[in-house]
Amino acid sequence: MKHDLSRVPEIIERYPQQPSSLIMVLQDIQKEFSYLPCEALEQTAAKLGVPLSKVFSVSTFYNAFSLNKKGDTVVRVCIGTACHIRGARQIQEQLETALKIQAGETTKDGKFTLEVVGCVGACAMAPVVLTNDRYHPQCKVNTVKKLVAKR
Amino acid sequence: MVSLTINGKVVRAEEGEYLLAVIRRMGIDVPALCDHAAVEPYGGCRLCMVEITKESWDGWKNYVTACLYPAEQDLIVNTHSEKVIELRTSLLDLFLARNPETPLIQKLAADHGLTKTSFEVVPEPNDCILCGICTRVCDEMGFAAISMVNRGHGREVAPPLNEAPPDCVGCLACAQACPTNYIKFEDIGTTRKIWGREFELLTCEKTGRPTITREFAAFLSKHRDIPEEYFKVNDEAHRDELASTMGRITRWSVQEETK
Ligand code: SF4
Ligand code: SF4
Ligand code: FES
Ligand code: FES
Repeated sequence: MKHDLSRVPEIIERYPQQPSSLIMVLQDIQKEFSYLPCEALEQTAAKLGVPLSKVFSVSTFYNAFSLNKKGDTVVRVCIGTACHIRGARQIQEQLETALKIQAGETTKDGKFTLEVVGCVGACAMAPVVLTNDRYHPQCKVNTVKKLVAKR
Repeated sequence: MVSLTINGKVVRAEEGEYLLAVIRRMGIDVPALCDHAAVEPYGGCRLCMVEITKESWDGWKNYVTACLYPAEQDLIVNTHSEKVIELRTSLLDLFLARNPETPLIQKLAADHGLTKTSFEVVPEPNDCILCGICTRVCDEMGFAAISMVNRGHGREVAPPLNEAPPDCVGCLACAQACPTNYIKFEDIGTTRKIWGREFELLTCEKTGRPTITREFAAFLSKHRDIPEEYFKVNDEAHRDELASTMGRITRWSVQEETK
């Protein structure tokens, strides 16, 4: 998928053109492209008057930002305490073998990204897996692969 | 002026002066790895931790970083209490897990009775202690070419996008200030390499030796009002010139006096 970077200036201009707008601008760029393209970071730095090095520092600090293009579906395995004791690691392994990638990676066809995350606030439904924003409660080792079955 | 007690001695300090400066003036040795004269305090290494209390605090004590805590009237400071040593030792234990082969850390740890970390050593240890002196010095100089990136285990100093930093001028201030010599650079003939960039060094018109990078000279003459001519000769030639000028002035004033 080719991204249309011509929208970047408009996104940057939504906020006051000053250093303190940095995180809001990055959030909007992340939302638009589901990652932070390098060119967008350069434009943001120049427009907001923040050194590129600092923009990079912020972009790599927060989990909410990603410098790599993510898959169409982001699969997040909760490995928080409650999910952990109910077998999150085994769930993670199942998904890794199904997708043939490690957590943190994206499949070659760009369809899936697999991530592990801390508690997603639904411990009663542990173990939990998210596909994009959708919660899948009480996942089971023998059926979890269905979540990433090619459709 | 305020007066406070440090390790049992009453001392005076400027109001707002940081404790670390007062402690050092008294000749007390407190480890302070992220402190550097050229930049603002950072509170990153936590090793300069001291114990503070006041008569009026009813025995309550607090542990603060001396490099960031301003001297206050009636403060009672202990730089080496049992608890402080314990805290410092556990910090050094962590440092040892990250920088097991770094002489600076090994020495400090050994002073605290540690030769081996009790934690798991990181997979690929290096000499960067994450003090942030390099990035802060570079910011202070006005370049902000490098910064701290990532967090947790992955934290490191890096140029933006991990590519040759566009804002770097090759001044070497970062490498010079680094307490562990972690930042590598290379000067070969009139070529300087640092952070994956290559710079051309100007050559001294008098000695033919390399001086500073073209980019750094351009910056200094533009923003620091130093004429570009100045960088056409190196420091040695400047000193030589200075010495002979001073010599002439001395001879001249002696002549004046004997007239
Ligand atoms: S050499 Fe480059 S990175 Fe280092 S202080 Fe100078 S400008 Fe900054
Ligand atoms: S490279 Fe050197 S100065 Fe920079 S953070 Fe690491 S140890 Fe400190
Ligand atoms: S630990 Fe997984 S939802 Fe809380
Ligand atoms: S010198 Fe005070 S925290 Fe590092």
